[in-house]
Amino acid sequence: MIRDPYRLRRRTLLTGAAAAATVAAAAACSDDGPAGTADDPIEISFEWWGDENRAGITTDAVNLFMEKNKGIKVQTNFADFPTYWEGMTGRMASRDLPDVFQMDYSRLRQFGSGGLLLPLEGVVDTSDFREGFLDTAKLNDQLIAVPIAGNTLGLIYRADWFEAHGVAAPMPGYSWDQYGADITTLTPALGEGKWGGGDWSGQYHFMELWLRQQGGSFYNEDGNALNFEPAQLAEWWTTTADLYAAGMVPPVETTIEWVEGGLVQDVLGSEIGWDNFMPGYTPTVEANGGTLALAAPPSLDAANLGLYLKPSMQLVISGATEQAEASAKLVDFLLGDPEAIKILGTNRGVPATNKGLENVEIDPATQAVLDYEASVEQYLTTPPPAPPAATGAIEVKFGELYQQVQYGEMTAQEAADLFFTEADTLLAAEQ
Amino acid sequence: MSASPSTTAPPAASEAGAPTANERRGAAKRRTPPARRGERLVGYTFMTPWIVGSLVFTVGPMLWSLYLSFTDYHLILGGDFIGLENYTAMFNDPMFARAVKVTLLYVLLAVPLKLVASLVVAMLLTQSRRGIGFYRAAFYMPSLIAMSVGIAIVWKALFAGGGPQDQFMSWFGWDGGGFIGNPDVSILMLVLLSVWTFGAPMVIFMAGLLQVPGELHEAAEVDGAGKWHRFIHITIPMLSPVIFFNVLMETVHAFQLFGPAFIIGGTAGGPAWSTLFYTVRIYALAFVDLRMGYASAWAWMLVLAVGVVTLIMFRAAKNLVYYAGEDNK
Repeated sequence: MIRDPYRLRRRTLLTGAAAAATVAAAAACSDDGPAGTADDPIEISFEWWGDENRAGITTDAVNLFMEKNKGIKVQTNFADFPTYWEGMTGRMASRDLPDVFQMDYSRLRQFGSGGLLLPLEGVVDTSDFREGFLDTAKLNDQLIAVPIAGNTLGLIYRADWFEAHGVAAPMPGYSWDQYGADITTLTPALGEGKWGGGDWSGQYHFMELWLRQQGGSFYNEDGNALNFEPAQLAEWWTTTADLYAAGMVPPVETTIEWVEGGLVQDVLGSEIGWDNFMPGYTPTVEANGGTLALAAPPSLDAANLGLYLKPSMQLVISGATEQAEASAKLVDFLLGDPEAIKILGTNRGVPATNKGLENVEIDPATQAVLDYEASVEQYLTTPPPAPPAATGAIEVKFGELYQQVQYGEMTAQEAADLFFTEADTLLAAEQ
Repeated sequence: MSASPSTTAPPAASEAGAPTANERRGAAKRRTPPARRGERLVGYTFMTPWIVGSLVFTVGPMLWSLYLSFTDYHLILGGDFIGLENYTAMFNDPMFARAVKVTLLYVLLAVPLKLVASLVVAMLLTQSRRGIGFYRAAFYMPSLIAMSVGIAIVWKALFAGGGPQDQFMSWFGWDGGGFIGNPDVSILMLVLLSVWTFGAPMVIFMAGLLQVPGELHEAAEVDGAGKWHRFIHITIPMLSPVIFFNVLMETVHAFQLFGPAFIIGGTAGGPAWSTLFYTVRIYALAFVDLRMGYASAWAWMLVLAVGVVTLIMFRAAKNLVYYAGEDNK
């Protein structure tokens, strides 16, 4: 039988082609050798969450860093808060985290306990932080993050609306009931489509505040279990029930569609929130002809506001980084370089370093935040320990279940019981 | 007759015929003639990119997730083998019942509506009219873009409170606001999105309709059958294999709806879990709750459920589907 003489040769050719392709691919992947010069820079990546505005100034600061450190090239990326964390969670699983990235206190245990973060003692400059700030950057006594800035809870409100409708400016120690009464005065006075304040029950941070005002806490000392009873949660979820039923706070059908906060949209008279958000809201509110002010959040106990100074954001370095030195340089630069501090301003909160505080340019809104923090300094107490890794999921669950209550699909008690079941499952999953 | 790639002259070929027959008999024992084996190798070589791709990106992860479904694997902390615990836990999970309910409701609404819409349009578009090509393209267009993020965002805007849907329906006395914020009707947004994208079943229906022999219609018309009778007694039976195929494909797809639901309702299936599709819950379990093992068990339960539904459909089809030329009972 006669064989086709070309067949074999064609196969040889194919094998050869495949081999050649493999070799070429391997060559393309090979390392460029030692790096770190202007022509052949080290590459590191840096990511954060935030809006366009933050992206603009952060990129400016990073560009300045690259100008001053010719041998380092920084790849930047950003996303909004939920997207950022969804992405990071997936990348955490595949051990593909950026060299330097922005961290939230509530996620510190989640990332830190997996050994995914580089211990920073002796790696970055820690000599200049304001007092008490580094405590919230430690996990099991090991420093794994550095705070960028600090913040605390406050009541951000429309001073012009409060004054126009005869509502007294809130003073430290004023009660939740008083706040509810103020909203009840404001909402009808403001007219259709505007509300005196938002529904505060769906945020676990505010419940934590409320528990701290009673001497309690959200999680236990070890950060592995809830530290309250379902009945307390049901009670918390009913604190706004009357206001909600009477239409004094915006209904969930409306808020579910909001892509911006109510203050910025000129429809909300007040909101409990992190104080460093206020300078961000101010330009828009002023453009709408309003004025914003900051006061202490409502309390159950005039002597105990439940407040603590929280790192608003932290910077961390991935444990898997191959460029620890360059990454540390970037961290030090962002927190300690006077020019960088000027560029970054108070976008992320009031700087956590003394140098930052000295060099930052203070506009009136930022001054208001500083004044507010000074005014409540006597009320600040020890921060709670870093929350459990599951806290991100628990926070989501908290909001989801409160939504069920708002829609009337569940009673507060039913939702509270289900929350405990779900939270226990989540906490058990990480034991 | 001859499988041999012989190029010799005819007399030689007849000589070669005998050994070929012998060789074939031998091949039955050895299975593969050497020449064929070579061809096969070349064939597999050309398929290598696909084989490697599907092993690495589909089969591998699937087997891994099957294994994970028997563990309590946590995305960061890892996990241990726990047997069938995940599968039993599911039935005590209130979210499981919720997700199944939402998904089944969607399948039962979206599949029939989409198929009826696509059949009606297919029948209109099989007529020969001027410019029919344009209409065919126009009706197919939505399916090209529908599963994109962009369309989901447009959909969100259409059904927002005070948006076009809200305004339009308010003229008729509707006071339920936008579908986005109303848990009673929010699922309809996704049903409408699915119905709007009937391109794929429409094309298949059109192909099926063009296959129905014209003489059947003519004969029936001569016998005095009206349009409706011809549709029921000729078109539907002749089309039944195509209908079956479309029902099957659309049902399987509907069970797996994820993208638009995720963008419109988020991981929480908002508002109030009314768009908490099964796949959305899997995503939330895996990437919000970090419970990869449990999420994998959910995923395999979906595979099982879709398999059972498909099996039931094939059983039912035996009596319902008419294959022309196989009716010698």
